[in-house]
Amino acid sequence: MILVGVVRALGVNLTPIIVKRVLTLKDLRGKSLAVDANNYLYQFLSVIRSRDGRPLTDSRGNTTSHLAGLMFRSTRLMRDFDMNLTFVFDGQPPKLKEQEIKRRRRQRKKALEEWQEALKARDFTKAFSKAIISSRLTQDMIDDAKKLLLLFGIPFVQAPGEAEAQASYMAMQGDVWAASTKDYDSILFGTPRLVRFLTIYGQEYLPSKGIARPLRPELITLSEFLSHHQISQNQLVDIAILVGTDFNEGIKGVGPKTALKLIKEFEKLENLPSKFLSRISPNFERVREIYLHPEVAVQYNLNYGPLREEEIFRFLCDQRDFARKRVEMVVQRLREIHALGRQQGLDNWVAKRP
Amino acid sequence: MFKVKITDAKLLRDMFQAIAILVDEATFNLTPELIQLRAMDPSRVAMVDFQWPKTIFDEYQCDQPQKMCINISELLKLLRRTAKEETIELSLNPENPRLQIGITGKYTRTFHMPTLEPQEEETPTPKITFKTTAKTTTDGFRQAIEDAQLVSDHVRIEADAEKLTLQATGDLMGATIELKKGSDALLDLQTQEPAKATFSLSYLVEIIKAASATSEIATLQFANDMPIRIDFHQPKEGKLTFYLAPRIEVE
Repeated sequence: MILVGVVRALGVNLTPIIVKRVLTLKDLRGKSLAVDANNYLYQFLSVIRSRDGRPLTDSRGNTTSHLAGLMFRSTRLMRDFDMNLTFVFDGQPPKLKEQEIKRRRRQRKKALEEWQEALKARDFTKAFSKAIISSRLTQDMIDDAKKLLLLFGIPFVQAPGEAEAQASYMAMQGDVWAASTKDYDSILFGTPRLVRFLTIYGQEYLPSKGIARPLRPELITLSEFLSHHQISQNQLVDIAILVGTDFNEGIKGVGPKTALKLIKEFEKLENLPSKFLSRISPNFERVREIYLHPEVAVQYNLNYGPLREEEIFRFLCDQRDFARKRVEMVVQRLREIHALGRQQGLDNWVAKRP
Repeated sequence: MFKVKITDAKLLRDMFQAIAILVDEATFNLTPELIQLRAMDPSRVAMVDFQWPKTIFDEYQCDQPQKMCINISELLKLLRRTAKEETIELSLNPENPRLQIGITGKYTRTFHMPTLEPQEEETPTPKITFKTTAKTTTDGFRQAIEDAQLVSDHVRIEADAEKLTLQATGDLMGATIELKKGSDALLDLQTQEPAKATFSLSYLVEIIKAASATSEIATLQFANDMPIRIDFHQPKEGKLTFYLAPRIEVE
């Protein structure tokens, strides 16, 4: 089995202008994070695969790659690094995302065909990378993951819309220290901190290149990023719209650096010279709305539930065919996580901010 | 106009080091009488409450109350370049919002750094009814905490009428550390009722290591499953107090 970190760039590409700090997992000790669950599970699903590219399954054909990743990695982050994780699941995507969703579906379909061909040709390197691109997180897999979290007593939140928006809101409220996902969208949604690559294995597999590269967690602090470029949050969103987001196509030939220059010079999209303005998606005000005023749940539970050991064994060993020994190890970690108790915040003793 | 001078560079460096344990961007309140800061760490688990009256400085000039926000870890990089007997001057120019740092010793250098958008809202102090007050030597408490760190990453602090006990339990090893009333490490102990609370050592160790450079005596106050308050005694009405929220067991 090959275990690596995350794959595939989703969301808006801001890499060339991003201001970040590279961390070690130790730097995140004791921190509470709202984790974009779909993104997190997708990573495991895409890379926990056998050499020919097939995901792990149980004897009835249920995919279990994502469960393996979820249970081993999360419990390690929580026990060895004392992190508090809350998982946030995607709800309904905004309507504007339809195009992007269709594009991804086409991409997966094409990769699925190429995977089969590569297998026939016995080109396993190619098969593996095509298999990764073809992976899709289904509702059944998400339901299994939620069930697992419930049995583990680890909190999760169902977002009404985008999980990144919900995680960002929770970080903005000070209920968690940071949002964690691979996409930069969270900073567009306003999270004060974004932790990328919450990985223990420390590798990212790049299917297009067929190689794995080492990965370390990164911290992006929004205020630092904005003050470094001397831009506002609204301007950051405008930059993203120029480059292209999940909700609009960017302008061809305008990358992050050009977009930054344009917005710094003209302040906002409306002021751009017509040769740019005419090529911006006519929906841009709606895209802005999605980022600046997203749909989020304002009430959510961050408390741990009880650890349901017997049910864990029944679900993971009896129904999903995991080896009992490995599940015992996970349960032992969970016992320690639960026994250690949770770090409280001082807010419980300080009048809550208005 | 804000301008201060201190002839003991180490004093300033140690104090900023203690604040930097919890905050990166520090908003100071500057008044004609004192410098003050109260801030929580980003996880909102710990708080630092700091105050220096103008008498700590060799020269102090501040004509009106104002706020100054700086990146304190950047400032520390500069202060780490100072030697003990060097003089530091900090000044804030109202026209050009940046902090000037003049360091004078065998030679003179002047740095400047940007000031940041200050945090407008004031951080209130936690409201806690403490049941135990223990006065320790800072070094004694530091040693006890470092002992506990050998075996675990969290520690339970307990007090009864006779002693202060630190209990650490790790995966394999455990430790019990007792500071008895009247011992060299424990100068005084007042307990209304037995109290215990558990704290993360990663916070405690860093706080105590940094603060012990500035202080000889520490007063601890705590109660059952409540935050601990640690006052690191400072000369001349200076104040360096930390609050740390407890860990509470689930179920």
